[in-house]
Formats: sequence, structure tokens, C-alpha cells
Amino acid sequence: MRVAPATPRLIDRGDLVAALDRAAGRKVTIISAPAGSGKTSLLRAWAGRPGQSHRLALVQVHRDQHDDQQFWLALLGAVRQATGAGSGAEPPAATPDFNAPAMADRVLSELAEAHGGVTLVIDDLHELTSPEALAQLTRLLVRLPAQVHAILTTRHDVRLGLHELRLAGELAEIRAADLRFSERETRELLDASGVMLSEGGVALLYQRTEGWAAGLRLAAISLTGHPDPERFVTEFSGTDRTVAEYLLAEMLDCQPPDVQDLLLRTCLLDRVNGELADLLTGRPGSERILLELEDANAFVVSLDPGRTWFRYHHLFADLLRLELRRRLPEEVPALHRRAAGWFTVQGQLAEAIGHTQAAGDWADAARLLADHSFSLTLDGQAQTMQALLQAFPTGEDHPELALVRATVDLAQGRLDETAAHLAVAETYAETTPPERQRRLRVAVASLQLSLATRRGDLPGVIEQVRFLASPVTGQSDEDIALGSDLRAVALMNLGTAEAWTLGLPDAVRHLQEGAVLAREVGRPYLEVGCLAQLAFAYIYVGAAMPKSDSFATTQRRCREAIALAERYGWGTEPVIAPALMTLAGTLVFLGEFDEGELWLRRTERALQTDTGPDIRLLLHQTAGILNAGRGRYYEALEEFSAAEDLASQMEASQALASQVTGWLIAAQARLGLTGEARAHVAALDDERASSGEIANARAVISLAEGDPAGALAAVADVLESTAPVLGYVTVVEAYLLAGLAHRELGDQGAASQAAERALALAESDRLILPFAMTGSAGLLEALPRHQTAHAALLADILDVLNGASPKAKAQSSAPPAEELSPGELRVLRYLPTNLSRPEIAGQLSVSPNTVNAHIRRIYAKLGVRDRSSAVQRARELRLLAAGRTR
Amino acid sequence: MRGHLPALDHGRMDLEPARYVIRIDGHLGATVLSAFPALAPQHYGACTVLTGLLDRSALHGVLAEIEALGLDLLELRKLTGST
Repeated sequence: MRVAPATPRLIDRGDLVAALDRAAGRKVTIISAPAGSGKTSLLRAWAGRPGQSHRLALVQVHRDQHDDQQFWLALLGAVRQATGAGSGAEPPAATPDFNAPAMADRVLSELAEAHGGVTLVIDDLHELTSPEALAQLTRLLVRLPAQVHAILTTRHDVRLGLHELRLAGELAEIRAADLRFSERETRELLDASGVMLSEGGVALLYQRTEGWAAGLRLAAISLTGHPDPERFVTEFSGTDRTVAEYLLAEMLDCQPPDVQDLLLRTCLLDRVNGELADLLTGRPGSERILLELEDANAFVVSLDPGRTWFRYHHLFADLLRLELRRRLPEEVPALHRRAAGWFTVQGQLAEAIGHTQAAGDWADAARLLADHSFSLTLDGQAQTMQALLQAFPTGEDHPELALVRATVDLAQGRLDETAAHLAVAETYAETTPPERQRRLRVAVASLQLSLATRRGDLPGVIEQVRFLASPVTGQSDEDIALGSDLRAVALMNLGTAEAWTLGLPDAVRHLQEGAVLAREVGRPYLEVGCLAQLAFAYIYVGAAMPKSDSFATTQRRCREAIALAERYGWGTEPVIAPALMTLAGTLVFLGEFDEGELWLRRTERALQTDTGPDIRLLLHQTAGILNAGRGRYYEALEEFSAAEDLASQMEASQALASQVTGWLIAAQARLGLTGEARAHVAALDDERASSGEIANARAVISLAEGDPAGALAAVADVLESTAPVLGYVTVVEAYLLAGLAHRELGDQGAASQAAERALALAESDRLILPFAMTGSAGLLEALPRHQTAHAALLADILDVLNGASPKAKAQSSAPPAEELSPGELRVLRYLPTNLSRPEIAGQLSVSPNTVNAHIRRIYAKLGVRDRSSAVQRARELRLLAAGRTR
Repeated sequence: MRGHLPALDHGRMDLEPARYVIRIDGHLGATVLSAFPALAPQHYGACTVLTGLLDRSALHGVLAEIEALGLDLLELRKLTGST
């Protein structure tokens, strides 16, 4: 929404603009005055005045704005434009899961980051109908950063709880009496329009209109070029007719017939462009008329810099609509239908459906709404859909609407109601003619699919996908587009469900296909969703076998998905939560506890709107391993318990649940709650109890009870590969537990051997977590340094176990003049060990000269002169960590 | 979409309708009167008096219409049985 420059026919109401300027010095200014008082014109004059230095974020609330998200997106976009933050990024896009408080927070943080003053301008606030939106707006206004001000206009006083601001003297008001034209300003307006009127005439006009801006402007239009202005004014003041009605009629009469026709026929649109106006009038040339109207008066305003779209002043439009219905009543439905057709072709379904309803074609509107409910949902227009749904009068009972009701219920998490409505929709679908039946069935199946996914019901998911997986055979372009949307969503849901139940090759295949298709059909939301789930699925792809760098690959995928989401402003939306969480988990596994925690917090923020128990389970699990890694077993136990509770509510994968249970039992044991731990094991069914994860847990219990032999017996199955394991991480744990047991039994040789095996497995991914979780510091320190093939990894692990974290950035951490090469980084990682240079050369299988050369360059680039300084500097710059995840 | 009058066509009755008298400044012409089909107009001096049977939501619809059209509301009275 651009601020159009004030048209030349508006006068310069200097005093009033100055008053607004003074008022705008307070935090919030409210301009509250009836329709036609000149609020918007005042805003425009103020915005356009010379010396105006504020950056303005201007939003004009649309008529009857039911959809909170649209309002907030417009506000966010306006703020971005004002602060210049938006350049390069995509405009903020709507998502199916909208979170109003998070949105308000986003606006606040963008404002806080903007240096220098910004003024929010919200015009027509009374059109914002939802109490929730007003509540969030109040929150925003009360927390505005210093140097940010707000100006709001409204037709009637709105319920914003701004008492604090009022008491603090930070609230200014401008009301109708302030906006009234004075007699002098009336004279100026007439002069500016070239109207010659006597003093007496001006006084009469002023009295009759009482200084009401809209009245004066209408009068000015009629008076311009009028042969006898005095008589006009005399007649006008002699009548008791209401000002607006009388003057509108006069103004309309003095327009050429084609202009009158245009105004009458297009007034039922919220916004109009030349093409649409031509369609409704049946004549070409509308664009020129609209432009001239804008130039001539303030009742028609353009909405874009290119002046292609226009809007009528609301009061003006309302009067015209009444006039239209009086003069051409039989044409009104036809006009609505033509508009509906045009909007349908443009793909603007919400407007098309609204016009179809206005035409009284309820059956058609129901069909349109049902057919497009899916894509409207993907477009994030759930609230708009609900408003359209509620516009159907009771008595207009259309069975297709059950589908829409199901869609809205699902969006708001009412799963049982969704199921009920879907049952109705399915019954209805059977009674429809064949060509519609397929489409309805597909739509129902897609909702069943989403419902099954939300409930964690994989068999249910697969059943629905059967339908949707068949290739697209629709006839029309519309069918194909809808089919592609549905197919992309189906692939995403299916892939997700498969990932969660560990059908991995299928999961990866389907999610990749889904991402590619989503990109092709231009559904970035789905693309991000698929990539996020894919990042999650990869954890388990890498888990089976230690493959070089699989954790690093997972991390890269996570970061790519997150970057894509951030491009669209979805960085903390639920859709990207799987990737955020996977990244957090991966970092925790690599011993990067601090960074992992940051991503964990961000995942929590993204999950504020409820998205189902499955991802919360993983969130608790990741928090659990983070705590366990840091030795905070009590907190870890709490998190694992929460995870287990959620797992029992879902029809989740047994294997995933085993991992949580295993860690939970181990945490209990480490806290000395061995009795409870044993009881927990005993309560498991045979299948679960025989998994490797539970075997490890039993070993932990045995160690806690002082029975190392029992521990060895427990992990024997894992080490001999006879127990099923979720991934090789379990095997690493088993080796460490065996090593601890051997140590207890006094067999240092066997202990070192077990530790070495653990290191070997952990080497390629540089895994650190199992060592931290099993408390293996003592075991590792006893390992003869010169006899390990994994000195670098060992040093890293001991760093983490001994609580060495990267030094705070408070110390000078200017990056090195030149980046270190991969070879130099490899050598760098050995510097913290106590291996000599020839020994390092041996580990890396290079010549000692090479190592010396690398070290010289390392010292030069880091600006140090000795080994320990090099290590310290490398830690500050996080180079050791970088080497680990390269 | 405002080509469609809100309260009247929906027929939603949430409370018993009552008789209301609404006084507006100025004489309402045919155009503006068409916004209040449920009310009967009469001119009294320089005012227009609209009378009719309205339930609660219809009443608020009428008030919203008055605001939207920039009319000047002088008086609103609900007639009880005795008046």
C-alpha cells in the first residue's frame, strides 16, 4: 500500500498537519472520526509534507478484514519496506499454521533492529474485526521500541487496551471536531478548485456541511464549472436532504454518462482495474476514466505506483451501491457473476467466491469453495475460508460444505470434528455424478491423509495415499493443478509417516519427489516441508552404518532447508521444525552442546502452535540427550519421561520408542534409582526388551549396582551383533559400557581395547555424545595416548568431557588473515594432543617435513609463535570444531 | 462484500425482536432509505424517523449502516409495551 501523493485539488491544511505532527511525537496517535471526515487525506498530507523525515510503514486495512494473517503480513511487509530490511528477500508469505503472537514478535524484532525512527501507520483500523488481532496489536503498541511511533485511524473508537500509554501521556487523539474544515479552509478549498463563490455563499456552504470534509469535496466537484454556483448553494442549503445523499446525486448527475455508468457498475468491487471495469460496463476505455477520476478528486485512489488498481472511498462506494440497486436492480447479480468469473480466471478464489455468494448463487459458491478449499489452505487463507463459510445463510445446506468444515477444523486442530465432517463428505461424494466424484474423493482422501498424519497413524496414511499416488489424469488445467498440489502434499505426508516408522528408502524417495514437485508447481511451503522432513529422515539413513561424514551431510541438509525457509520468512514456523530439531540433535551428537542448545530453543519457539505429539517427542528426546551429555541426569530423566509419555499416546515406531526408553532407564540408574530402572525393564514386552538399546540400559543398571560382570553379560549380544539396534551409536555405547565394566574388574587391557573400538566406530562421524553420556572420561584418560589411532578425536572428546567450551568471543577473535587449508586444519587438530611432530606425521601418513611446513603456516595465519597459543587461538576461532564437521 | 445487506437476509434470530425508533438528522432520500428496508420512514421537521421491528443483531446492523453512510444519529429509542 503506497501513500499516493496528495492530489492537487486538496488544500494544504497546514494547521491540521502541524497538529498531527505534534501529536505524532507521542508514542501512539489515534485519529477517530466518522466516515468522510478526511482522515486518510490528512495522513497523506502529513506523509507528503516537505521535511518529513520519518520512515513510514503504511497499512490500510481491507474492508471487513476477517483474516488476521493478511493484516499481519501486510504490516510486516510494510515494516520491511520502511526499514529496507526486505530488499532481496521474498515478501512475507502466508502459511497454513499462523501464529499471531509470533507474528507480532517478528514485527517487534524487525522494528527493534531498524536504527532510527519508524512510524507505523494503520488506516481504517475499525475494519479489523477479530478480537485476537486487536489484542496482539495492543501488545505490539505497548512494546514499541524507542523511536518507533504509531498513528492509527478509525471510524469509531476501537477496543485497544492502551490505558497505560494514556496515563503516561503517550497517547494522543485527534477527533472529528479537530478535522472539521473551518470557514477559511472552506474558502481555500473552493479557491483551489477554481470555484467563484461569494462570502455569503461560502458561509452558507460551510454551515450546511458543518465543515464535513466529504460533503465539502462533493460540493466542490459539483461546483467546479457549474454555471450558477450561488444558486446551487442556495438550493442545497434550502433542502433538508442529508448532505452525502444530496451531493452525491448532484455530483453523479454532472458526470458524463459513461462515467456514471462506470461508477455505478464497478462500485460493488473492493478494488477495480481497467480490464475488470471494461468487463462490467461492456465498454472499453475504463482505465482512462479511472485515472481522470483520481486526478479530479479524492474519492478514487490508486493502490499501486503504476496506477493500475483503484479503490473507491468507502462512503462513496456505499452510497453508489445503494444507488446502483435502486436504479439497476436486475443487473446486480449479473455484475457479481461477471466479476466472479474474472476473479476465478485470475486465480483469486476468495474474491470469486465472495462475489458468487453476493450474486445469490449459493450452490455455485459452495462448489467453488469446496473445490478450492485445499489450495486456499495451502495459501494460508484458512480464516478467509471460515468467513466465507459463515456467510452461507442457515437454510442453504450444501453437503459439499462438509469438506470445507473439515478443512477448517483440521487447521484448528479439532481432529474428531474433522473426522465427523469427512464421514459426511464421503457419503455425499457417492451420490455425485462421476466426473465430480473423482475430484471430491481425492479431496476427501487428502484430508484423511493429513488427519492420519496428525494422529501418527501410518496404516491410515498408506490407505489414503493409494488414491493420491495414481498419476494425474485430470482434464482441465485446474484439475491438473489441484492434482499436483494434492500429490505434493500426499508425498510429503507419506514420506513423513514413513520416516517416522523407519521405512527409510521409501521415505527418502517420496520426500525428494515431493520437494521436486512442489518446486515445479510453485508451492514453496510444501517444498520447505518436504526438505525439513527429509533432513530428519537422514538421521536414520546415516545411523545404520558409520559412513564417513553422514552427520556432516545431515547438518548440511538441515542448514539448506532452514536457509530456504528463512528466505520466505518461515525460519521459526512449525513447517521447518523438523530440520531445526534435527540440526540441534546432530550438533548434540557431535558434542557441540552450546550451539545445539540454541537450535533447540529455536525449535521450541517454532512449535508454539500445536503440531502434534510426534515432533514434541523428539524435542524432549533431544533435550534429554543434551542434558545427559552435560551430566545433568535429573533434567535428562524429566525430558525422557516426557518423551515416553508422548510415545505412548501415539501409534509411533517401536524402534524410536526403544531408544527413548533405553536412555530413560540409563538415566534412572545413573541417578541411583536402580529399583525403578529394573522395574521399568521388567515391564517391557519381550520384543522391546531384546533390543540393543535396552541391553545397554541393563548394563548401566548393573554397573550402578556394582556388578560389572552382569554389565558385560548384558552388552554381549550387542557386541556380537545378535541384538537388533537402531544404529551404530548403540554399538559405540555398548563398547564404552564394556570398557567401564572391564575397568571395574581390573582388566585394563580389555578396557583399553573396548575404548579403542568405540573410538574407531565414532571416528568417521566424529561422534562425541556417547562418550559424554556414558561418563567415560576416566576410561579414556587411562588410554595410552601413543597407542591409539584416534588421538585427535580422543583429545576433542576429553575437551568436551572436561567442560572446555570455546572461549567466549569477548577476547579478540578477529578471523585469521587467511583461511586455513584442509591439510592445515587436519594438522591443527593434532596440536592439542601431546603427540610430537613425527608422531603426527605418522598418524596422518605424511612426511615430517610436510607437517612442519603446515605448522609454520598455521602459526603465521593465526599470528602465534608456539603450540599452546595456537591451540588457544584455534579454540577462540572455533577452528577445531570446524575441522570436526568438515 | 458489501453488495449484500448483512442482518436482514440471514434471518438469524438470537433474541426477541423489539420495536425501535431511530431519529436521524436530515431527510433521507430514496437511495439511503433503501439501506433500511426493514424500517418505515417518516419526516419530522428536518429529521427522518425510522421505525421498525429489529432483533439485536439487526439493530447493530442498522447502526453500522448509519455509521457507514455518514449519517447523524440523533436518537435511538426502544419501545417497551407501555409506550
